[in-house]
Amino acid sequence: MKYLILIYDNPHSRELFSGPEGAELMAEMDVLLKEITESGELVMTEALADPAQTRTIRVVDGAPAVTDGPYAEAKEHLGGFILVDCATPERAWDIARRFPSSRFTPLEVRPIMSPGGAEM
Amino acid sequence: MRSAGAPDVEPLLRELAPRVLGALARRHPGDFDSCEDAVQEALLAAARQWPGEGVPDDPRAWLVAVAGRRLVDAWRSESARRAREEGAAALEPPRALESAPGFGGGFAEAGGDDDGAGGAPDEDDSLALLMLCCHPSLSEPSQIALTLRAVGGLTTGEIAAAFLVPEATMGQRISRAKATIRAAGGRFAPASEGDARDAALRAVLHVLYLMFNEGYTATSGPRLARAELTTEAIRLVRLVRERLPDDGEVAGLLALMLLTDARRPARTGADGALVPLADQDRSRWRRAEIDEGIALVTDALAAAPPGPYQLQAAIAAVHAEAPDGDATDWRQIVALYRLLMRMLPGNPMVALNHAVAVAMVDGPEAGLALLADVEAALPRSHRPIAVRAHLLEQAGDVAGALNAYDEAARRTTSLPERRHLEARATALRAVG
Repeated sequence: MKYLILIYDNPHSRELFSGPEGAELMAEMDVLLKEITESGELVMTEALADPAQTRTIRVVDGAPAVTDGPYAEAKEHLGGFILVDCATPERAWDIARRFPSSRFTPLEVRPIMSPGGAEM
Repeated sequence: MRSAGAPDVEPLLRELAPRVLGALARRHPGDFDSCEDAVQEALLAAARQWPGEGVPDDPRAWLVAVAGRRLVDAWRSESARRAREEGAAALEPPRALESAPGFGGGFAEAGGDDDGAGGAPDEDDSLALLMLCCHPSLSEPSQIALTLRAVGGLTTGEIAAAFLVPEATMGQRISRAKATIRAAGGRFAPASEGDARDAALRAVLHVLYLMFNEGYTATSGPRLARAELTTEAIRLVRLVRERLPDDGEVAGLLALMLLTDARRPARTGADGALVPLADQDRSRWRRAEIDEGIALVTDALAAAPPGPYQLQAAIAAVHAEAPDGDATDWRQIVALYRLLMRMLPGNPMVALNHAVAVAMVDGPEAGLALLADVEAALPRSHRPIAVRAHLLEQAGDVAGALNAYDEAARRTTSLPERRHLEARATALRAVG
């Protein structure tokens, strides 16, 4: 079963990762990513660029409209994600709990829809 | 690329894979993962060479010889690596190497003499391999993946495609599974008698059942993707049955798979939507599979006290024998589910299916009365809620049915099931 772990950031949590404790936090993250790579649970993981680089795309009256932002008015923004494939939801929750940013900002764990199904 | 008229060697390789690995693992019981790697390399070599150069006279001996040589190569480089790391002056072969076939005298050329093919009979090796791959220290996804590779002879890329994950992810999972078995002290050992063997066989049947379901619930995907898992599961149960022809549960599981797989052409509509059992065009069910499944379960039930797979196969046979949904003998199905509940007390899926069958005999209210306990036992599942929605709709409670359809659609993580539930709700809103 696949789960998308959404990692949220805020300006303060970014500072923590680049401050004196940063190396320790990064090392903790590396340990976790190594563990789920070697167990065959990690499908992919990426970090997202700063929200200042976000462009919002809409189609208005049939014409595409591209606008800058939204800028980070919100307290938290999506900073990255981990896609895992694991045996139980509890395991996915555990991976999220152990991601070091969980001490400062929340993570969301969302099940991925499967293309298969049973007739009823 | 295969030249014109070249043989398609894949079926032969898939058939030989467990026998070759069995022969190798029998000689080196503590080194299953190296044996498995060596056999994979030999299979790849054969897939490259045989279509052009022709199939050797004794293909199994060829594979055992090549795999054995790869195993020795792997030990040599491992021993050299260790020697470098330890700074040891002497390059001592590990103990396993001294007993390796052909070591010292130069391994026999591929296709030449071979002490495995003509040696101990191998009829139990495939079963022993299956039991090792379904080792209790592994998670279910890992048991399935390792079984597909070591016994099924599929490549890591094919298994990754079947599970919709990248090849690197699946490669790691298989490596970890082999390391876990080694760490847990799992060894390749021909199946002996007794309770341990019986438990190992039940684990194998359960893994093959899960493998089948993974494939059966697939509605889309590339070649040799999820849907082929059903073919592979059926092939592997047949392999077990060849070795244990008198085991009623093995026959029961094969019958259950055949009777279920027979419905595949009718279970999805042209648009890929799921078609409920009651609405399926039964003329599209595969007759040959139904006939074989019914014959198997009839013989098995006559010969032995029935186990859970035989009972489930018997239920599938009742469905298969009905010319249309309305003609289904639901009383018999209720009776079979009662037996199954006695055998698997506390299994909520069995209790859920029993409630559905009771509703078909005694009306939707009777089914609804049985659902509360099932919902309590499956608090996160959408299935009992989907059943409640159908039964409320039959009972004429439109508002209740709509609530339950919406709730079930929110809870399922299956795209086609969500579409089905949403379509039922939309249709009900249109008339209600």
